[in-house]
Amino acid sequence: MSFYFVIIGTKDNPLYEAEFGTWKQGGDGVARFRDEQRHLNQFIAHSSLDLLEELQWAGTGGSMYLKCIERFAGTAGGGSGGVVGVAGGVNGAGAGGVWVSVFLTAGNIKFVLLHDTRADEPIRQFFYDVYELYTKTLMNPFYSVDMEVRSAVFDGRVRAGVKKYL
Amino acid sequence: MILSLLILNKAGGLVYHRDFSNTFTKLSSNDYLVLAGTFHGVHAITARLSPFGPSSGGTPSSGLEVMESEHFRMQCFQTLTGTKFLLFTEPQQPNVDVILRRIYELYADYVMKNPFYQIEMPIRCEAFDRHLMAYIKPKQ
Amino acid sequence: MSATKAARMGEEVWKTRIDKVNAELVTLTYGSIVAQLCKDYEGDYLEVNKQLDKMGYNIGLRLIEDYLAKTAPQRCVNFRETAEMIARVGFKIFLNITPTVANWTSDNKQFSLVFEENPLGDFVELPDDGRAQNELWYSNLLCGVLRGALEMVQMQVDAHFVSDTLRGNETTEMRVSLVRYIDDELPQSED
Repeated sequence: MSFYFVIIGTKDNPLYEAEFGTWKQGGDGVARFRDEQRHLNQFIAHSSLDLLEELQWAGTGGSMYLKCIERFAGTAGGGSGGVVGVAGGVNGAGAGGVWVSVFLTAGNIKFVLLHDTRADEPIRQFFYDVYELYTKTLMNPFYSVDMEVRSAVFDGRVRAGVKKYL
Repeated sequence: MILSLLILNKAGGLVYHRDFSNTFTKLSSNDYLVLAGTFHGVHAITARLSPFGPSSGGTPSSGLEVMESEHFRMQCFQTLTGTKFLLFTEPQQPNVDVILRRIYELYADYVMKNPFYQIEMPIRCEAFDRHLMAYIKPKQ
Repeated sequence: MSATKAARMGEEVWKTRIDKVNAELVTLTYGSIVAQLCKDYEGDYLEVNKQLDKMGYNIGLRLIEDYLAKTAPQRCVNFRETAEMIARVGFKIFLNITPTVANWTSDNKQFSLVFEENPLGDFVELPDDGRAQNELWYSNLLCGVLRGALEMVQMQVDAHFVSDTLRGNETTEMRVSLVRYIDDELPQSED
């Protein structure tokens, strides 16, 4: 199992991206994407933003936290997330099914995770973990919203989160 | 019964003066400045006059602290920063120490913490006046 | 006053006579001051250090009266006692931390304050433009505060940081040295 994780800012600009492989079932933590898949990952992540925005504003009363869970057939993406299934690659590239999970923060920052197998609960925990790390980054006076996250400490902790949950 | 309060800065200049009672004749404002300067000098002299030298704790003797007469009592509290608080009361007023401590706390809060107050300059802080009156009035 | 008595007094004043405020508010406010200074001086971190020291100096001039009003202490007999009071009472009532006093010189005129925790620097990571790590002393305001406060009680001191965990050092340490006692203005002197 391989994952592609990206944090996207309020202006649709990527703030942080990383690739991981699973640590479970004897995985060694190294992502194995086919070469074409790499480019597709970024494309898929961005295209899912459209769908996410639709959902974001379609919710009633501004409470989009729990609504998303109900909308999708039997899938739960966590408190303020939604799971969007995108079957296959684009332009008939023939890639296998790639699932896109998204977590939307109150500050309109999107955490997007691409994965090839569904795993709602661990992903939800992972997202919340990263959310905590992100809020700590916001506390840094030298970091402003929509800035790239370059901290090695942040990177290390995200990877530790992957190890723990995915 | 508390009669009046004077606050002197490090150089001996009068920065605050307030009367709390009408039972005595007031001096002119210039006279108060002279009074403050005179007291500052007297305080300095009396600090050196003590025949005993430093007390057992090794602290040097301070200047004039209390002056009593039939009609009034004057107590001086000098902070470690050199500011002097002079409180004039009737001779039988109890707890003058406590009152002076509280006035110092009000000074530290409403005068020093006001960023627009220039240190060593006359005190024109409305909050300090208000809190001071609110503290002193019930005691009259 | 002995060190343990000072510690107890600091604890007691902290518990009973101090209004509390949210720590993160303090951290964020201080952080925005430093960040804004860095932006305004366009990366001239030495100038930022100077400005922080100046701001701290002005705070210290006023803060000392608050300290004296709340703790009503006796005048410190020597510089060693001053150091203990600063660490165990001063820092305790204003920041709720107790730095350790260490590294005294033989003439008892210099000491170090070693900070195990620094609430001003929580969550902070210095910008990695190569120079901040070597030039900026993030908590330099504290040096100014000590300088201003001690000047009001007739001590001229020099205070500066020598190491900072935000820079990657092992400890956060401030060196304080007594330059001289200022006793020409005040007639109260040792006889």
